[in-house]
Amino acid sequence: MPVGLQAEPSLGVPGKKRWAMVVDLRRCIGCMACVCADKAEYDVPLGVWRTIVKVKDTGHYPNTKRHFMPRLCNHCDNPPCVRNCPTEATYKHEDGFVLQRYERCIACRTCIAACPYNARHVLPKNRDRVKIGGVVDKCTFCSHRVEKGLAPACVQTCLGRSRIFGDLNDPDSEVSKLVARHKTVVLKPEKGTRPQVYYIKPERAQTEQVFAAPQSYAARSDSEAFYKHNRGSKFFSGVL
Amino acid sequence: MFEYMSYNIAPWGHEIVIYFFLIGAASMTFVYAAAPAVFGNVFGGIAKSMEPFQKTGLFVSLILLAICGPLLIMDLGQPSRFLYPILYFHWTSPLSWGSLFLPLFGLCILGFYYGSMKGNQKLMRWTGIIGSLLALSMPLYTGLDLMVHQTRELWSNPTIPLLFVILSMSSGTAVVAVIHFLRGQLDEQAAEFLHAFLYISLAVTFALFLAEWVVLNFGTGEKQQAWEIINQQFGFKYWGVTFLIGILVPLVLVAAPKIGRNPKVLTLAAVLSAVGAFSFREVLIYAGQLTQINF
Ligand code: SF4
Ligand code: SF4
Repeated sequence: MPVGLQAEPSLGVPGKKRWAMVVDLRRCIGCMACVCADKAEYDVPLGVWRTIVKVKDTGHYPNTKRHFMPRLCNHCDNPPCVRNCPTEATYKHEDGFVLQRYERCIACRTCIAACPYNARHVLPKNRDRVKIGGVVDKCTFCSHRVEKGLAPACVQTCLGRSRIFGDLNDPDSEVSKLVARHKTVVLKPEKGTRPQVYYIKPERAQTEQVFAAPQSYAARSDSEAFYKHNRGSKFFSGVL
Repeated sequence: MFEYMSYNIAPWGHEIVIYFFLIGAASMTFVYAAAPAVFGNVFGGIAKSMEPFQKTGLFVSLILLAICGPLLIMDLGQPSRFLYPILYFHWTSPLSWGSLFLPLFGLCILGFYYGSMKGNQKLMRWTGIIGSLLALSMPLYTGLDLMVHQTRELWSNPTIPLLFVILSMSSGTAVVAVIHFLRGQLDEQAAEFLHAFLYISLAVTFALFLAEWVVLNFGTGEKQQAWEIINQQFGFKYWGVTFLIGILVPLVLVAAPKIGRNPKVLTLAAVLSAVGAFSFREVLIYAGQLTQINF
């Protein structure tokens, strides 16, 4: 039984919800609308992301293919970020959301180090519009929308209907049917985190990439710019 | 071939590295200062050679602690909430335990100091014993803080807490040796005492360094990636500063039968080992954060 969580894993527990996402990679066209919707929903600052779409080309001309892979917090059923948080600022909701209490987070960044999916980031201080800053933030599966019966912003906006959201404990939900009928994979199952974002038909190049460095560092330089810009009084030194 | 991936980088920077180093040094300095009161006549009373060091040692470890605490607090995104890990104590987080033990350790130093002022042997003994245990828990919790990250294979390794304790022994010995040396108190007995500790800590560090080499080279994809990062980005720090300057040279110096106990050589070896203790931790902390970020 996992320790240090505030709610037990709910996958397959009768009478409980287990919110999950299925990402059908056959349908993703890499439009990044989900990233934009998410940035708009939460005013996510430049340089950090709650969700992203990873792009990768494989092969050599003329035999090439471009792959897209949406990434977000996996709302793990056994989340190491929750176990390691010294203040219980990040916690597990009994319906499966892994959420953040901003008023409690001290931004020690332990949870960032604990997450194997790079799903967390620090919000810089001195933000212009939304004043929440100097704390760690992450994808919430849009719990505020889901509780009102709406789909998460990224799911709502997904043009290819690649992202599908629902309760995996409900056998009639679309996610349950997809998971039952298709070959799905989760990312890094060997880490014991029990991730709850299921991918249909990912390429091996997308999922088994631990050892290969990316060929283009375009996005990495964005991150570096972000951390350099926010150093000093606004932030801490960082590893870069 | 094109690839686009965004990164959120886990930002544990030099504050954390310096903190890990200083808290280790502060802990072992206290253990040395408290050794005469804790061990008394055990082991032939060799710990008594630290008696002249008692007050200075307490003072130095208090100063180091007074740097460590604020440094750690300033590193938080929300420094004013520094008490939250104690107020909202989370038992599965080593950071919570560390935040609890750190002030208790400080109290033990003060208690020991008070006892030594009043000549209260009983108080000194008890605060010495409890303080030494808490002192050991400091490098231990910093190592555990890395070890519990089950998903980062460079850190998730039971030798890390042990390594951090051993490294803190080196840095503490360096503090004590330098102070003794500068005050001309590094007599034969004190040199013998420090030599033994330095020898043990360097030998164990050497063994753990080799173990790390084997584990990373014979390990999983992520471990091999860590090894590549260490060699590419931290090659000089790992092989030059940590291994050569920080482990091998001082180990040879203390192992040399004729010169190993010479005050000058011993002090030099101790200082070099402290340099190694710093950079070993630095490389492990940084490289551990860089694995996986391309996935
Ligand atoms: S993906 Fe990362 S942040 Fe999300 S629940 Fe899992 S460990 Fe935590
Ligand atoms: S940064 Fe915040 S949420 Fe993350 S571990 Fe620290 S206190 Fe918890």
